[in-house]
Amino acid sequence: MLRRDMFKAGMGLAVAGALTLGAGAGAALAQDKQVIGVAIPSATHGFMGGLNFHAREAIKRLETTYPSLSFVLATSGDAGKMVNDIEDMVATRDIDALVVLPFESEPLTAPVQAVKAQGIWVTVVDRGLSVPGIEDLYVAGDNTGFGRVAGEYFAENLGEGDNVVVLRGIPTTLDNERVEAFEAAIAGSGINVLDMQHGNWNRDDAFDVMQDFLSKHEDIDAVWAADDDMAVGVLEAINQAGRNDEMWVVGGAGMKEIVKRIMDGDPMLPVNVTYPPAQIATAIELTALGLVSATPVSGRFIIGSQRITPENAEQFYFPDSPF
Amino acid sequence: MTSSATPSVPPTAETPSGTAPAETAPVRKPRRRFGLHVLGPLMALVALIVLGAFLNDNFLSAANVQNVLARSAFIGIIAVGMTFVITAGGIDLSVGSMAAFTAAITILAMNALVAPLGVSVLTIALGMGVALLAGLAAGLVNGALVARVRIEPFIVTLGAMGVYRSLTTWLADGGTLSLNYELRTLYRPVYYDGPFGISWPIIVFALVAILGELAMRSAPFGRHCAAIGANEQVARWSAVRVDGTRMATYALLGLLVGVATIMYVPRLGSASGGTGMLWELEAIAAVIIGGTVLKGGFGRVWGAVVGVLILSLIDNILNLASIVSPYLNGAIQGVIVILAVVLQRERKADS
Amino acid sequence: MTEGARLSDGAVPVLAARGVSRLFGPNQVLFDVDFDLRPGEVHALIGENGAGKSTLMKILSGYLAPSFGGVEADGRPTVFASHREAEAQGVVLIHQEFNLAMPLTVEENIFLGRELRRGPFLRAAEMQEECRRLLARLDCDVDPRLRCRDLSAPERQMVEIAKALGRDARVLIMDEPTAVLTARETDLLLAQIDRLRAAGTAILYTSHKLDEVARIADRVTVLRDGARVASRPAAGFTEHAMAEAMVGRELSDLFPPKAAPQDEVVLSVRDLDVPGHARGASFELRRGEVLGFAGLVGAGRTELMEGLAGLRPASGEIRLFGRSVRPDDPRAMREAGLVYLTEDRKEKGLLLGFPLAENLTLLALEKFTRAGLRIDKPAEARALAQAVEDFAIAARDLRMTAGGLSGGNQQKLLLAKTLLAEPGVVIIDEPTRGVDIGAKAQIYAFIAALAAAGKSVIVVSSELPEVIGLAGRVIVMHRGRIAGALEGDAATENAIVRLAMGLDEKEPEPA
Repeated sequence: MLRRDMFKAGMGLAVAGALTLGAGAGAALAQDKQVIGVAIPSATHGFMGGLNFHAREAIKRLETTYPSLSFVLATSGDAGKMVNDIEDMVATRDIDALVVLPFESEPLTAPVQAVKAQGIWVTVVDRGLSVPGIEDLYVAGDNTGFGRVAGEYFAENLGEGDNVVVLRGIPTTLDNERVEAFEAAIAGSGINVLDMQHGNWNRDDAFDVMQDFLSKHEDIDAVWAADDDMAVGVLEAINQAGRNDEMWVVGGAGMKEIVKRIMDGDPMLPVNVTYPPAQIATAIELTALGLVSATPVSGRFIIGSQRITPENAEQFYFPDSPF
Repeated sequence: MTSSATPSVPPTAETPSGTAPAETAPVRKPRRRFGLHVLGPLMALVALIVLGAFLNDNFLSAANVQNVLARSAFIGIIAVGMTFVITAGGIDLSVGSMAAFTAAITILAMNALVAPLGVSVLTIALGMGVALLAGLAAGLVNGALVARVRIEPFIVTLGAMGVYRSLTTWLADGGTLSLNYELRTLYRPVYYDGPFGISWPIIVFALVAILGELAMRSAPFGRHCAAIGANEQVARWSAVRVDGTRMATYALLGLLVGVATIMYVPRLGSASGGTGMLWELEAIAAVIIGGTVLKGGFGRVWGAVVGVLILSLIDNILNLASIVSPYLNGAIQGVIVILAVVLQRERKADS
Repeated sequence: MTEGARLSDGAVPVLAARGVSRLFGPNQVLFDVDFDLRPGEVHALIGENGAGKSTLMKILSGYLAPSFGGVEADGRPTVFASHREAEAQGVVLIHQEFNLAMPLTVEENIFLGRELRRGPFLRAAEMQEECRRLLARLDCDVDPRLRCRDLSAPERQMVEIAKALGRDARVLIMDEPTAVLTARETDLLLAQIDRLRAAGTAILYTSHKLDEVARIADRVTVLRDGARVASRPAAGFTEHAMAEAMVGRELSDLFPPKAAPQDEVVLSVRDLDVPGHARGASFELRRGEVLGFAGLVGAGRTELMEGLAGLRPASGEIRLFGRSVRPDDPRAMREAGLVYLTEDRKEKGLLLGFPLAENLTLLALEKFTRAGLRIDKPAEARALAQAVEDFAIAARDLRMTAGGLSGGNQQKLLLAKTLLAEPGVVIIDEPTRGVDIGAKAQIYAFIAALAAAGKSVIVVSSELPEVIGLAGRVIVMHRGRIAGALEGDAATENAIVRLAMGLDEKEPEPA
C-alpha cells in the first residue's frame, strides 16, 4: 500500500519534472547525470553469484568510463521484492534506463511494461518476459544451444549401447529447454539415458543423487551434470565410489575451478559448455552505450553457448570471479 | 477412581446392602503400551526398508547403506539437538543457515591457518574447534534472546535464519567458499573413511543419538526440558532453572550444528549461500515424525533418529527405483510426514 | 411457587438414574446408584472427591454411558448417545472449568454452534437482543459484546448458565459452581439458582461447601465410595450429619492438637517488599511452629510468600537458619531450606500429563541423580511407593498421570513432592483448596506432624476455621501490609476478619 502510494507520488513528481524540463526552465542542471537501474536476483547460488559479480564489475568500470552516468543496483530474493525494487527505482531515483533479469517471467511482465510506458529504456536479460516486444534490448544466453552443444559432444564421443545419466536443475522452463535440446542432439546415436533426476543446481543434492545412481547402475559411461555446481557434487560421489576411470562428466556454465581442470587436461572433465554469467555485463554496457551515444543498440543479442575444450579453456578462465 | 480408604482415616461406614466398595489397592498396569504411537515410526521405517529391498537389489548393499546413513548424519545430529529445543517448548528455524555460516567460518579459518601452520592435522583440529565455537556461540545468542530477552523463539530464530544466510552469502561474495585443495585432501577422510569401514559421520551420529537418548530419558536435563515444555510455571515453581535450561537447549543445538558442520565440510570442501537450505524444516519434520510433541512437553530422541532415516530413505528409494515422477518426491515426503503425525493422535486419546 | 415444587414429591422426575453402575477397566466406581431430579427442585449431590459424583453427573448428561442400569428422562428409559443428544433434550452439564471460548464475546459464546443467520450473514442484533433477554432472566447485566476473558468468575458462571438456558435447558447439572467464587459472588449465584428453581428448572448441584448445600438444596444425596449412602430432604439434615455421611465416621477430630513451638527462630523476615503486591512485611517463625496467614483474597498473601520463596522479584532482609539469604532464586531458597507449596495446583503445582513419580521428584531431582547425570528410576519408584503409603494417596495405578488423580489426592501428592525436598521451613498456600473433608483431615494431620517433627510451617488460607484450627499464631494481611498478629485464643474469627477488613489496623511497631 505504502509503496504504491509512494509510487504514485513519484509518478507525480516525475511528470512535474518532465513539465518543468519541457518548459525549458534550464535550471535543471542536476538532471544532466543519467541514471541506469539494474535489477537482478540475489546471489543464492554459484551462477547468480557470478552474475552479481559481473554486474558490479561492469558498473564500476562504466562509472569511470562515463562520468555522466550513474547506476542503481538492486538484488532481490523473490519476484515480489524485485517488483518493489523496480517501482522504487522509478519513483525515487528517476531512472532513464532499466536493465532487468526477471526473477520470473509472468509476475515481472506487467511492472516492466509500466516502466516502459513511462518512456524509460528497458533491457531484459536472460529470461524473456511473457509479452513480446516490451523491451528495447534483449540479451540472453542460449538455453537450447546449451543443451545442444553438450548433446553433440556426447553423440560424437559415445556410441551404440553406451550409458549416460543426467542431473537436471530446478524444474523450470529453462531446464526443460536445455534437456529437450540435449535429447534431440543425442537422438539416433544409440546412447541410453539410464536415468534423470533433479539435482536442483545444488552441490549437496547432486552428490546424493549421484551416489544413488552409482548404487543403482553398474555401468555408466558418462554423466551430463548440466551445471558446474552439480558437477562438483557428482565428481565427489564418483570419487567416493572409486569409479573415476569408468566415466567422464560434462557440467556447464564455466565455473572457474572446472575450467581450470579442463585447462589442466583432467580426463574426467573433457569439455564444458558456456552459459556466461557475464551476459549481464554485456547488457549493461550496451545499455550505457545506447544512452551516451547514437550507437544503435536495440534488438536481440543472443550469446551463443560454446564448447570449452582444453585448447581454448584459457580464454574462459576468470580467476577473480567468485564463480 | 475410587475413594481413599486410608490407614489413618479408616472408613467405619455402614455399607449399603447389595453394593461393595471397590478395592482401592493400586493396580499395576504398564502405562506405556506399545501402541501405534511407538511402533508407527518404526513400522514406517521397516516398511520403507522392505520396499527398498524389493525394488532394487543394491538397496541393502553395504555401499548404499553407508551412503544413506552418512548423508542422514548432518540433519540427524541437528535433529537430536532440535528434539531438546522442541521438547522444552521452543523451536529453532535458524539451524540450516547456521550450518552454512559455521561451514563458511570454518573454511575461512582453515584456509587462513594454512599460512602459519601449513597443511597439518593441527590446522584441521583448530578449524574444527572454530566450527564448534561458532555453533555454540550462535546457539547461545538464540538462547539468550529467547530465555533472557523473552522474544518468541519463532521470531528470534526466523531473524537469525536470515542473518546467517546473508552473512554466508556475503562471506562467499555471492559465490562459493572452497577449502584449500591440499587441506581438503587431508581432511577428506573425516567424511569418507572411518574405523572398521564405517565412516566417521555414521559413528558420530550414532554417538550423538545414544548420548541424546540417555540425556532425554534418564538425565535431569531431559526431565527438566519436558517439564518446562509441559508447563513452564510448574517447572519454575518446582525450582527448575527454567531460563538456564531453555538457554542450554539452544546452546546444545548450536554445538551440534558445529559437530554436523565438521562432518559436512570435508564432503565437498565448500560452502555457499545455498548450503544447508531447508535443513531446519527437515530436522523439525524428523523430530515430529519421531513422536516428539511440537508444542513441547514430550520428546523422543530415538524417534527423531528414525524420522531422519525415514526422510533420507524416501529420497534414496525414489532415486533408486524411478517408480514415480521425480516431480512428486516432495509430495510423497509430505504425505509421510502428515501420516506420521496422524499416528501420534492415538497417544493423545490415550491419556 | 417454590413451596409447591418442594412438596410435589409425586411428580414424575425429569431425569433419573436407575440402578446405575459404572466400571473403568477393572475398577468399579459406581455401584447400583439411584438418583432422581424433579422439576423445580435443587437436588444436591455430595461426597468426597472420588466418591463417584463426577461419573454420575457425566452419565446423567450423556458424556458417559452406564455399564449397568439406565437413565430415564420424563419417566421413560432413555439412552443418550452423546452429550449433544442430552442437550437436545434439555439436559446441560455446566463444567467446573468453564467451557467458554475466552477470546470470544458473551454473545458469540452463548450462540456458539447455533448462530442465527440470514443466508450467509449473522443476525447480530437479534442475537444480542436474545442474549440480553437470557442474561436479564438471571438478573445479570453483562454486556453481550464483552469478551469472556474480561469477565469475572461469577459473570462467566452466569454466561455459562445463560448459554444453557439459551439451549432450552430443563435440567442444569452444576459441577461445583461456587468453587472459584467469593462469598458475595456465591450469594449472587445462589439467588439466581433460586430464581431458576422458581421457574421450574431442575438443578443437580454439587459442592464441597456444605453450608451452601444446606442453604439451597431441597434434597441431598450422599455418595460414598461409589454407592448411595443417604438421600434425604435437606430440611433437618445438618451440615455435620452430611459430613459424617460423606466420610462415614465421627468428625470431631478434624484438627489435631497443637504442639508448642521451640524457642529457636528459624526464619526472620524484615521489611520484605514484593513490588505491586506487598510492602514492609516483617515476621519471625520458630522451629516447630505452625504460623497462619489470613486475609482477604487479593491482600497479597500469596505474592508475599512467592516473593519470599524467590518466585517473584522481592527485596528485604531474610535470615534463614541463621544465614542471610537473598530471595532471588527458588533453587537457592530450596537449598537454604525453604520451599513454597502453591495454591494453584493445576497451573503451578503439578504436571498433570506426567506420571506420578516424575511429579513427585521434580523439586528434589538431585536426590535421585547419580553422578550428576543419571536419574535413578528404581529409587524414584521406591519414593513414590513410600509417598503413596505415607500420604495415603489413592492411585489406581502407580504409573498413571497426576491429572488422573482426584483433587484431594493431587494435593497429597503435591505435599509429598514438597516435603521430599526436606525443607526446614515449608509454606503451604491453601492446603485444602478443592479437597474433600476426609482428605482435609489427613492433610491437617500431616501439617501437625511436621511441626511436631521440628519443621516450621506457614499456612496461608482463606478458610478461617482452618487457620485457627492449625496455627498457634495468625498474621493477618490487609492490602499488601501486615495488619496485625493474633496469638492463641485471641485468634478468633471475629478478630481476624476485623484485621482483614482494615478495621483494627495498627502500624507494625518498629523493631
